[in-house]
Amino acid sequence: MKRERTWINYYLQSTSGIVGAVLVLIMITLSLISAFGLAPHDPLEQNPMDALQGPNGTYWFGTDQFGRDIFSRSIDGMRRSLSVALLSVGLATLFGVTLGVVGGYLGRWIDNIVVRASDVIFAFPAILLALAIVNSLGNSWIDTSIAIAIVYTPIFIRVARGPVLSVKEMDYIKSARVLGYSSPRILGRHILPNVFAPVVVQVALSLSWAILTESGLSFLGLGTQPPDASLGLMVSEAQALAAFAWWSLAFPSIFITIVVIGLNLVGDGLRDALDPARRSTS
Amino acid sequence: MRSLISLQGLSIKTSSDGRSLTSDVNISLIEGEALGIVGESGSGKTLTALSILGLLPRGVEVASGEINFNGENLLSIDPERLRGIRGKEISMVYQDPMTALNPVMTVGNQLLEVLDCHNHDVKDPESHVKQSLIEVGIPDPDRALKSYPHEFSGGMRQRVVIAMSLLLSPKLLIADEPTTALDVTIQRQILSLVSRQRSRRQMSMLWITHDLGVVANLVDRVAVMYAGRIVEVGTTKQIFNSPQHPYTQGLLASLPVASSRSRNRLASIPGVPPKPWLVGQSCSFADRCQFAHKKCRESLPLLDARGTKSVACFYPIASSI
Amino acid sequence: MTLVIDNVIKKYPIRQSKSVVNALNGISLNISKGQTLGIVGESGCGKSTLARLIVGLESPTQGAITWRDNVLLRGSKNQWRNHLSPAQLVFQDPYSSLNPRQRIGECIKEVIVAHNLRQKEEIDSRVTELLKVVGMSEDMKNRYPHQLSGGQRQRVSIARALAAEPELLILDEPVSALDVSVRADVMNLLVDLRKEFGLTYLFISHDLSMVRHISDVIAVMYLGRVVELGTWDEVLDNPQHPYTKALIAAIPDHSQVGQMDLTVSLEGEVPSPTNIPLGCAFHVRCPIAVPNCSKMIPQLLPIKSSQSVACSEVVK
Repeated sequence: MKRERTWINYYLQSTSGIVGAVLVLIMITLSLISAFGLAPHDPLEQNPMDALQGPNGTYWFGTDQFGRDIFSRSIDGMRRSLSVALLSVGLATLFGVTLGVVGGYLGRWIDNIVVRASDVIFAFPAILLALAIVNSLGNSWIDTSIAIAIVYTPIFIRVARGPVLSVKEMDYIKSARVLGYSSPRILGRHILPNVFAPVVVQVALSLSWAILTESGLSFLGLGTQPPDASLGLMVSEAQALAAFAWWSLAFPSIFITIVVIGLNLVGDGLRDALDPARRSTS
Repeated sequence: MRSLISLQGLSIKTSSDGRSLTSDVNISLIEGEALGIVGESGSGKTLTALSILGLLPRGVEVASGEINFNGENLLSIDPERLRGIRGKEISMVYQDPMTALNPVMTVGNQLLEVLDCHNHDVKDPESHVKQSLIEVGIPDPDRALKSYPHEFSGGMRQRVVIAMSLLLSPKLLIADEPTTALDVTIQRQILSLVSRQRSRRQMSMLWITHDLGVVANLVDRVAVMYAGRIVEVGTTKQIFNSPQHPYTQGLLASLPVASSRSRNRLASIPGVPPKPWLVGQSCSFADRCQFAHKKCRESLPLLDARGTKSVACFYPIASSI
Repeated sequence: MTLVIDNVIKKYPIRQSKSVVNALNGISLNISKGQTLGIVGESGCGKSTLARLIVGLESPTQGAITWRDNVLLRGSKNQWRNHLSPAQLVFQDPYSSLNPRQRIGECIKEVIVAHNLRQKEEIDSRVTELLKVVGMSEDMKNRYPHQLSGGQRQRVSIARALAAEPELLILDEPVSALDVSVRADVMNLLVDLRKEFGLTYLFISHDLSMVRHISDVIAVMYLGRVVELGTWDEVLDNPQHPYTKALIAAIPDHSQVGQMDLTVSLEGEVPSPTNIPLGCAFHVRCPIAVPNCSKMIPQLLPIKSSQSVACSEVVK
């Protein structure tokens, strides 16, 4: 019997998808190095003697005005950014998909409440809403994640609810009801698989937005607080130095760019691989 | 009698991988004649019709052949000239009356636009357009002109589409399954409308359908398409009363007859039609044919003219009736 | 009597326009075991609504549907939710009635597993048996629906319905979406299955020639009511209701080339179910209508032991 080609096979055919995955994997590896304390320097350690050095053998990305190693701080910032992104998008996916699927399938008043509530959240600009929530919750990375999760939940509601609404009207769902299948069975086996592809794509794209939002919050003085490192905070702090110490601004910015581009490429690759219509017919 | 339009050796392929969709289609119509093209989905009947007006969908193209209309090859003429012919000399009615009209424009404006596009000079366009609606049996034409398509039922919308296609008195009307989406009593009304207009205007007609009952009562001649080729052509009486191609015969035998009293088991054709590009040099029907011999699988039968009727079969069924 | 449909009314309120779609306006029909009831009518006559009510996809606004003296549906209570109904449905469109992500074998197996219809070790052989019953080979089990032709998909739909071991099969336009040359195959299969399993059919179609071919009794519907009911040969050979006559006359008949008189046709269109004419719903199009027809709704009354007509001009 011919082996079925899975979506992974299709994904691996796309060059941009592979490039994206490699970029993201590099960033994850660097974060893990930092998480296990294997960074070349302590990201918080100040060495006033070595302040504002350009990139060299000891300090690969140079140092900031306190003599802290920018490479170690960058990978620590990456770790923090990725953690916030993963937790916030994870929460948003969990709540958004659940609410979207349940609302879409059950319809009536439940759906009405879900849709109206997400419309309200949609009505605010994302960063302003996140700012307001972080302000009221606090500054820890978990608070930041919750704030971003609240902002992104309606996106997942929308992404999950759409396919549910269209699939619900298909004859094979009616047929499942006539055959006396239970609602959990219909939802789990016949409706959810249609939600999987768009949600996976949305997760990849939202992770990159979440990293930008976290950076933005830190840049604005919320989110991660000094002396802890965060990519956004590093960019913010480096502004004053950029004129004579380009490396302090350049490297954290490049990290943000790489991870965001990587996640976007992964999202595009997944979208192509998971959509049967985009696959070439074989 | 000279032919108004003739398709010669028309082959249509996909542009990307050259899959053959229709092969060597030859059709000709004389002025005032109605020809029905019958076939199942995928037989190439709609593509053949679309190719006449140069309206093939993206990714599909004419690979070879000629389409001669009034002495001009439509495949090689100037696009501006083709645009002038479309709608004016050859017009088309589609299957779905819901999407054939622009939903955000009144019916009156859509009809006037047809006159406008072809610089058609009439003294009083408003009354010309109104007259066209009266001819297709639309009650209260004044109100209809100011209405939007969604205010009409499917049958009424198809009448509007027909009025639009007859507006410039075309020489040829191409109809692609125009009654398939309609109820039978409405279909009947549209059929009588079309046949009345055709005889009044001495217009030629190409009627594409899968419904054998409709063509049996509407057209002068029938071409049967199967897997991208015409397998049999003849007068309507010949095709229905003494089909010679085993496919035509099998198709007719498989239909229950509404007026008959017998309820015998329906004759069926085993299998499904092949993809036209997978047929190659053999009879496309050989795999489903109860009369197939070795020869049928080794060479391609071509249309063989026998008087007014021709059949692409090595072993045609002798006229039995 | 196996299935009794007793004065069923179904209305769909439309919130935006504050109007009501009157899909069924008091339908009473019976089907006995082993019988095939054919329902014919044009769009808006309520034939598909009736199918959905019988299988419990929707509930009637009023009236009852009784199965072997058990009240199957009454008012808005549906007792078949999460239970296996003795009535199963085969849909018109074989392209949307199968889950595109489910292999054929899985699709049939799921019915058996969900309702514990067989011991675990018997399931696979049961799936094979069901496929064989509808004329498909075992190696189709691993195919996906998109790898099948329309006719094969419809066979799978039928096999899936049979997996539920129904007594009544509701066939809603089962061959209308199929290519002409495969319709006969599916029709023959349905005739064979009825005999083999002693099934009762409700065959719904707009195609009178298909209904004629398979039905014992034919009901002609117009705007949510039965206008004529009788054995298949009575209804077709000796139609009484003016609508039935018009419907029969409108069928393009391929066996009589050029015989159809295209100059005559039933005037007008089916009125909208949101705005049904008063009195007899057909009177606005009826060639034999008298003024009284717009005042009284004609009841379905017998003119013979087995044929009934709802027309006050015919039943006098």
